[in-house]
Amino acid sequence: PGRIGREFYKKANSPKTKRLVTVCQMYFLDYYCDLFDYVISRRDRIKQVEEILDGLPFQERSLQWNNYVGRERAFLRKKRTKPRNKDFH
Amino acid sequence: MSSFLQSHFNSSAIPTIRSTRTFRRNPDLSPTKFQQDQQQDQQQQQQQAYYQQELHSASSIPGQRQVSSHKEIRQYAEQTLGSGSALAQAVKLPKGEDVNEWLAVHVVNFYNQLNMLYGTVTEFCSPSTCPRMIATQEYEYLWQDPMNRRKPPVSMSAPGYVEALMTWIQGFLDDDSVFPTKMGVPFPRQFPALVRTIMKRLFRVYAHMYCHHFDEINELGLQTHLNTSLKHFVLFCREFQLLSPKDYGPMDELVSRMLDDDGKSK
Repeated sequence: PGRIGREFYKKANSPKTKRLVTVCQMYFLDYYCDLFDYVISRRDRIKQVEEILDGLPFQERSLQWNNYVGRERAFLRKKRTKPRNKDFH
Repeated sequence: MSSFLQSHFNSSAIPTIRSTRTFRRNPDLSPTKFQQDQQQDQQQQQQQAYYQQELHSASSIPGQRQVSSHKEIRQYAEQTLGSGSALAQAVKLPKGEDVNEWLAVHVVNFYNQLNMLYGTVTEFCSPSTCPRMIATQEYEYLWQDPMNRRKPPVSMSAPGYVEALMTWIQGFLDDDSVFPTKMGVPFPRQFPALVRTIMKRLFRVYAHMYCHHFDEINELGLQTHLNTSLKHFVLFCREFQLLSPKDYGPMDELVSRMLDDDGKSK
């Protein structure tokens, strides 16, 4: 604490810094909720698909698996490229 | 291949980027670690001589933070570290997923997280508080102008370096032929190498924040966020072998500690 002076608290309590800190906290909260939600639901989908594929004839299996994997990949790409701030200017 | 990728990232130049030319090490401060490289070229020797000179003058600059020991950084961080086993699961490539697609999502994520975290300390990280992009007094990161590779890497202020770095990365993110947005368009061949270079440079922003702004981040109440972000970053790098121990520089010990703890909790 000795390293941090009055000047720091003046800046830290400025509306600008407070806003940036809030935005940062919200971003992290939102990101990690979304991430864990994604990881868990994707794991569930894989399990579900595998169970269904088990009942299919051998050739049909790899075809349907590739179909499923392709859709997951498209979903992931869409997630990455969702409209960013700059797209609204 | 896009002109942007060609002009900003030449995959044959990767060894150059990896070499010690992008950071300078001060032999005085780490006599046991510093090993004289016999093949060291003249330019590097000149650079080191220059750095030593600079260091002596820099020590008189007020406001240059001196969190310089590994132990100190580690103590700071350990107070707030949570369990990483959920993160360790989350970094794994989902069954059947394309590796490049997975790398791309994560590069965007770490880029955003660092923008957010560094954004909160911009008031405290200025050309006068941080005239050089350093992490402890042992490491300085130099910037090489991507448009002009013949120019030697230059010393920049920390905010100048971070801005140049983020703009450089944003250029790739906006380029459809590097980070494709259309369905079915593949990633370029050099993509994994580019990801390694981007991650290596992004890590330097963590290193600077830990070594020179941790007190402030702590006071702002963002230490958990910074630690979570770094832990996620290093777990991801380990999973896909993106960085080597020397890329962690002054944070090497903290990083291996983070990875060890994760090993125990599993």
